[in-house]
Amino acid sequence: MKKRTARMVSLALTLALCATGCGKKSDEGKETSTTTDPTATESASTNTPAATESADASKTEGEQKYPEFLTIDVFANESNYEGIETGWFAKVVKDKFNMELNIISPNVSGGGDTLFTTRSAAGDLGDIVIIGCENDRLKDTVTAGLLYDMTDLVAGSETISQYTAAIDKVKGLVTDGRVYAIPKEVSSQSPAEPSETTDLGFGAFVRWDYYQELGCPELNTLEDLLPMMKQMQDAHPTSDSGNAAYAFSLFKDWDGNMMNLAQQPARFYGYNETGFVLHKVDGSDYDSIIDNDSIYVRGLKFFFNANQLGILDPESTTQNWDTLWNKYVDGAVMFSPWSWQGPSAYNTTANTEAGKGIKYVPIKDTQIISTGGSPAGVQVVIGIGSKAEDPQRMFDFIEWLYSPEGIMNNCSADSGAAGPEGLTWELVDGKCQLTEFGKEAFANPVTTAVPDEWGGGTWRDGVSALNYKAVKDSDINPETGVSYSYKMWDSYKDENTNPVDQSWSEKYGADTMIELVLKDNNYLVEAGTSFIPEGESSDITALRNQCKAKIVDYSWRMCFAKDEAEFDSLLKEMQDTVKSLGYDDVLAYDMQCAQGKDAARAEARDSAK
Amino acid sequence: MAKAKAENVPQQAVQKKKRRGVPEKYRLFLIALPFLALVFIFSYVPLYGWRYAFYDYKPPLKLSQCDYVGFKWFTMLFQNKGWVTQILNVLKNTFAMSGLGILVSVLPVAFAIFLSEIKCKWAKNLIQTLTTLPNFISWVIVYSVAFSLFSTTGMVNSVLGDLGLISSPISFLDSPNHVWLKMCFWGVWKGVGWSSIMYLAAISSCDQELYEAARVDGAGRFRLMWHITLPQLLPTYFVLLMLSVANILSNGMEQYYVFANAFNKDKIQVLDYYVYTISMGGGNTYSLGVAIGILKSIVSVTLLIIVNSISKKVRGESIV
Repeated sequence: MKKRTARMVSLALTLALCATGCGKKSDEGKETSTTTDPTATESASTNTPAATESADASKTEGEQKYPEFLTIDVFANESNYEGIETGWFAKVVKDKFNMELNIISPNVSGGGDTLFTTRSAAGDLGDIVIIGCENDRLKDTVTAGLLYDMTDLVAGSETISQYTAAIDKVKGLVTDGRVYAIPKEVSSQSPAEPSETTDLGFGAFVRWDYYQELGCPELNTLEDLLPMMKQMQDAHPTSDSGNAAYAFSLFKDWDGNMMNLAQQPARFYGYNETGFVLHKVDGSDYDSIIDNDSIYVRGLKFFFNANQLGILDPESTTQNWDTLWNKYVDGAVMFSPWSWQGPSAYNTTANTEAGKGIKYVPIKDTQIISTGGSPAGVQVVIGIGSKAEDPQRMFDFIEWLYSPEGIMNNCSADSGAAGPEGLTWELVDGKCQLTEFGKEAFANPVTTAVPDEWGGGTWRDGVSALNYKAVKDSDINPETGVSYSYKMWDSYKDENTNPVDQSWSEKYGADTMIELVLKDNNYLVEAGTSFIPEGESSDITALRNQCKAKIVDYSWRMCFAKDEAEFDSLLKEMQDTVKSLGYDDVLAYDMQCAQGKDAARAEARDSAK
Repeated sequence: MAKAKAENVPQQAVQKKKRRGVPEKYRLFLIALPFLALVFIFSYVPLYGWRYAFYDYKPPLKLSQCDYVGFKWFTMLFQNKGWVTQILNVLKNTFAMSGLGILVSVLPVAFAIFLSEIKCKWAKNLIQTLTTLPNFISWVIVYSVAFSLFSTTGMVNSVLGDLGLISSPISFLDSPNHVWLKMCFWGVWKGVGWSSIMYLAAISSCDQELYEAARVDGAGRFRLMWHITLPQLLPTYFVLLMLSVANILSNGMEQYYVFANAFNKDKIQVLDYYVYTISMGGGNTYSLGVAIGILKSIVSVTLLIIVNSISKKVRGESIV
């Protein structure tokens, strides 16, 4: 008896082990469908019979067109949400396409490219694929057979084929000249003019109420911020909730070729990044970031000095984006380099009504980067996975994303486009205006509840998690004659004032940041181009990875160095270390890319004239 | 111990052998099979992945679509001064941390001996449970505990600040000072209870007559520990020590991964963590990572052979 049991157990164990060991092969490629299929088939089997029995009138547009309910996997490179999309946007998609979106987000899963690599090794990225196309990625993804050839579908679609520059660009990125993807943020605006709605992305955004208290001192250059911010912090050492408040607070999540935050001051002076090169977007200056007099080292020095003055949050080294965001919400940070960070977090209705807010403050010698319109879109693309169950429906969905209705719905995250017509906005006498609900939703997105017939939940939870703007939201909607973004509508501008904005406008004689920088000539347009450098060789990649890790680490240590001597010695050490790791080879490659980029920008500027 | 058992089993089996069913030799093989399969699947099958080191692997391309580059990645490691310095630094950290780990490996022995001296049963059980528990806490959780205690706004800094002992927070976690010792401390805290289990088992199998004889000779409690318990534990200790020497290059990466930051990176980067950073940490130079992994395996096997031959000479007994 015992013997038999032992035999059985050992046999069972062996089998189990073999099964776990070998199982993967047979599952390969099905991995994703097994996770989503149960819900899909289940809902399909419950939906379809019921649907056929009931009258056609009760069916949604989507159910009539696509009888089978699907849960589709969306590999969304830029998304910050993972899981099934819920709320009002999900409802719109369900009604139109009879499907739901399962968002797969590398940002949430962490580990950089790991998720992309493992999924592509398994042979299925998802039904819809949103990826970057720098460094030959689009070409390689196509070569690996992961994307569906949609050349014919695109040719048959008026909505998409109108973006010829964009289509030409993606054709040029692959070897066979066919269309496998469509670029993000295509725009019909001039590449040489600012294409932002109201604020530029970058700039010195400072607590406006505190700045006024100090008598709005004039700032001639970046470093003038330091003594002023010191005064500010001394006067207001605590946040709204009584925690310690700091003038500057940083985070490390987005460090890449260099420390991301230290690079931001460069953007105030018209420099943008190409690998280890920070170069002026008009092509007038090229900086190797580690040089003693580079704009990047100036940024490091800036934060070093801030730390010396005691106005740099010591938690900067350990916190992440979310922690920092909550600090902004709490009023614990007084400076932000981005319009979509500090102001977005802090300028709620309650705060601005009370006169508290973060606003752009001009610095005389700055030339802040502004993005020009890009007819060919940016370096991110959307495509259909080669293993998609229903490519036609996937294409219809993508086409819808590029249609006025889709843009309005899909781009409404972070106060971009206006959202679904009838819910947040309506046409009154041919003019767009926000509904009462819309005003409420955009002022307090986190708390505003969406009516049940629109899917319920809060406004913020319901916005599209794709984080994919098909078209720039400052572009003109052909159906309404005004921009997709409600912020540029006259009705919105007239109605939307608060003490903060009012005092700001009075002081500077301008309604928006764009108006002000145009007036003061504090901007430099980064002309939109379709230039994408050729992919770098894996040698360069290997060298770059070694160098950039060192640069990032040293940068942080320099910002928190205890004195000037340590700062200088760390800088020297960094230069020596990365040079011995092969920095110069990478720099040569980056320099070449930067020059190519600038040539393309010059061309775009000339053609726009 | 395993050896002793293995010798017993055949003897019992010999008596029953004559009955029926699968012949003895196959039966034993079948019993061992699951474990052989385990070793094969997790230790030998992955070796197939070594082929990535000889290609210019660039996901999402399939390996068959990538170029064969021979030993390019291996030579790259030695192509310039910076890389060599960096690898030497990583090795220094690896040896230092493993060395400290070996130094403190006497702690579980001492702990086990003292614990076995506690006569109050419930207290003994309680202590053993409480000290074993940290072993089951993942490093991520350990780090979050460390973070809430020792970050610049953590408990320790707040308390010290409130007491007026310090004016600015002490950076415990983000400083390059004493990183090796700190890491060693966390390792001991997490592992001491768990590692002492084997010694506790060895103590319980000690011959009680030895103790009685020693007591008759007038030995006190500490003399018993020193002259009876400790010598009985030494064989176990040496086997474990030998194994850890052979394993000196593999000190895992989780601990260092969670504790690493810009300030202590130079001191905390051990080989496993370095391989991870190169292949997965944003860089995606998988081929290079695999190449370093291969080198590591080769060095580990060499170390094992050396230790084994030393063991043969010194103790007259090999461990492989």
